[in-house]
Amino acid sequence: MKQETNNEMDLLLRRLGRRDETTVSNAADDHLDADELSAYTENVLPAAARARYTAHLTECSRCRDLIVQLSSSIGVIAASDMAKVAEPSVWRKFLASLFTPMVLRYAAPALGLIVVAAIGFMIVRRDQSDQHVTQVTNTETQPSSPAVEKPGAALNDSPTKTEPSPDTRVEKQSRGLQADSSPPQNAAPAVKSVDDDASKDAAAQPKPEQQPASANEPPPPKPSAAPTAAESPHTADTEVSKSEVKELRVAGRSAERALQAERRQDKSDFARKAKPADQVSAPATGSVANLQRDGVDLSANTRTVAGRHFRKRGGVWIDTAYDSSKDSVTLTRGSEQYRALVADEPAIKNIADTLEGEIIVVWKDHTYRIR
Amino acid sequence: MAAPALPHCVSAVDFEHQTRVDGDRIGSTVKPEIDKLLNDGAARLLARASDNRSLSRELLLPRLTAGVEKYLLKDDPNTPHTDISKFIDELQADDLCLIIACERGDEHAWTDLVERFTPTVRSAARSASKNEDAAEDLAQSIWAELYGLRARKDGMPASKLAYYSGRGSLAGWLRAVVAQLAVDVFRKQSRLVQTEEDTDLERLARVAEGQPIVARIPTPEESVSNRFAQTDMQQALHQSVQELPAEDRLLVKLYYFDNLRLREAGAVLGVHEATASRRLTRIQTDLRKRVTKILVDERGWTQAETERSFAEVAQHLETDLESLLSKEAL
Repeated sequence: MKQETNNEMDLLLRRLGRRDETTVSNAADDHLDADELSAYTENVLPAAARARYTAHLTECSRCRDLIVQLSSSIGVIAASDMAKVAEPSVWRKFLASLFTPMVLRYAAPALGLIVVAAIGFMIVRRDQSDQHVTQVTNTETQPSSPAVEKPGAALNDSPTKTEPSPDTRVEKQSRGLQADSSPPQNAAPAVKSVDDDASKDAAAQPKPEQQPASANEPPPPKPSAAPTAAESPHTADTEVSKSEVKELRVAGRSAERALQAERRQDKSDFARKAKPADQVSAPATGSVANLQRDGVDLSANTRTVAGRHFRKRGGVWIDTAYDSSKDSVTLTRGSEQYRALVADEPAIKNIADTLEGEIIVVWKDHTYRIR
Repeated sequence: MAAPALPHCVSAVDFEHQTRVDGDRIGSTVKPEIDKLLNDGAARLLARASDNRSLSRELLLPRLTAGVEKYLLKDDPNTPHTDISKFIDELQADDLCLIIACERGDEHAWTDLVERFTPTVRSAARSASKNEDAAEDLAQSIWAELYGLRARKDGMPASKLAYYSGRGSLAGWLRAVVAQLAVDVFRKQSRLVQTEEDTDLERLARVAEGQPIVARIPTPEESVSNRFAQTDMQQALHQSVQELPAEDRLLVKLYYFDNLRLREAGAVLGVHEATASRRLTRIQTDLRKRVTKILVDERGWTQAETERSFAEVAQHLETDLESLLSKEAL
């Protein structure tokens, strides 16, 4: 009802306006001046003054036209001023553009997916690391043998705690690889040394058991050759029987380290032209490395025959005591000179028969190259 | 930017409608206590201006006095002192100092004025003119008025610059000056070119004054509207509009008589379009009550007759003016 009555009034007023628009009222005696016009347009007049001018405007179409014209231009100016203010803030505009509905429509779900994916990835990673930690914890909860750290007190302190943790073993292995710089003190030099230096540094290999009793028998292809095994044979056996995947992984890592150490060792060997000490320690290092690399039997490149240690390099079995600075006698198997030598030294024949191919053997301060 | 040369096209614009605010007329009417308020206000204004152009309080005082008289004391001679101080503190300090300095012949101030407000004057002239040439003439006329009068050396502040009170912005004042000048120039030209259309306009004006048309045969639409014009309702509506408060009456005039959009009408009144719309709805309701009251009380109509008459008249108007209304922008 109210809307209808207002519509009726709207129509009546429109008709009234159309009839009266022909009456251009200039009757007002006092038109607004420029100051009053601008102050009225900017709405900065005191209330009483504004009311006075409003009353005039209702009657004076001239002033009303001016006010309308100025009001519209004020709107334009205000808009352009706003634009000027907003224009320098390009950064803000850019930020605002990032949050427009169109962007948000696609960006929000995409962002959500990324977050979900990131969380999922984190969870998977966490699970894996938890598993890893669990495995390590399991092995570590098994008490590590103090015997490893203190061989002398090992058996007395805790006979049951014989299984060393992989970490400890690796540590010991690393230590063993660096034996030339920190020789163990309780190792028994079972190797038959060639000179004093060799015998002194022979302590670097703390595994007398590694030396086979028989020259015909290859070294035991077991991890017992490891330093820990040398100190506790029983532990070594248990360890081999319990070779888990985890341990193999650790062993693999240690083998890598051993290989690197071997390479370093080889370099130093050549640099120092195979000093006796190196010659003694080299087989041990190589042995350990080979054993670790293949897990069980890695002694294919090292042999010990008739109390002599040999390492295979470039298809040639070289006596670890070999000194390239010394002259060597080259012999061919089956030659008369060879037969004469082996007649005097049957052990050399044993070596030559055991090791196929070319051999360099040091025997009683003489170096023989047998082909 | 150099000051524009005095153009030869300085229009003979009359400033009969201008109210000077140089204080000459009213200086003696200001009470002593108000004089002190104005002195203090002048000091504050000079202090807060970023560039007071080395003006003194004495130079500023007449301008402030005139403004207070014009916008406050004229409506209420006992305006509270706080209102007077507030009024002075709200003045555009920099603009006012610039204009007074220009009026006093400060070359730097004049250069600043021209540099800062040439775009404003040009823009205002363009919007008030039919073409670029007319706009350029108009703009030059403005600067000529300001500059030429500034050159007077009789010491009398007769320049247009003397009419700026500092209440509104200087840019707004310049736009108003341009608009006024454009209207005056247009009217002057209109008076020179009398046509027969003027005669028609005058005859139509007589119609509005209630004189009957006998020379013309009314169209069907006019027939309806003439009948409407004869009714008591039309007179009652006219009377009711006249009785509206000034603000409401102005809105009715702007919307129904000047055919402004609500946004434009709101801009004049300083309110939002939505506010103007609500206000207009209220005015319509108010007018209906007023018309009904006049018809019942003064013309002896019954309430039912009034309601029926509203509906009938509206129906006639709706039918007759449908095509016309559809052309009007809402």
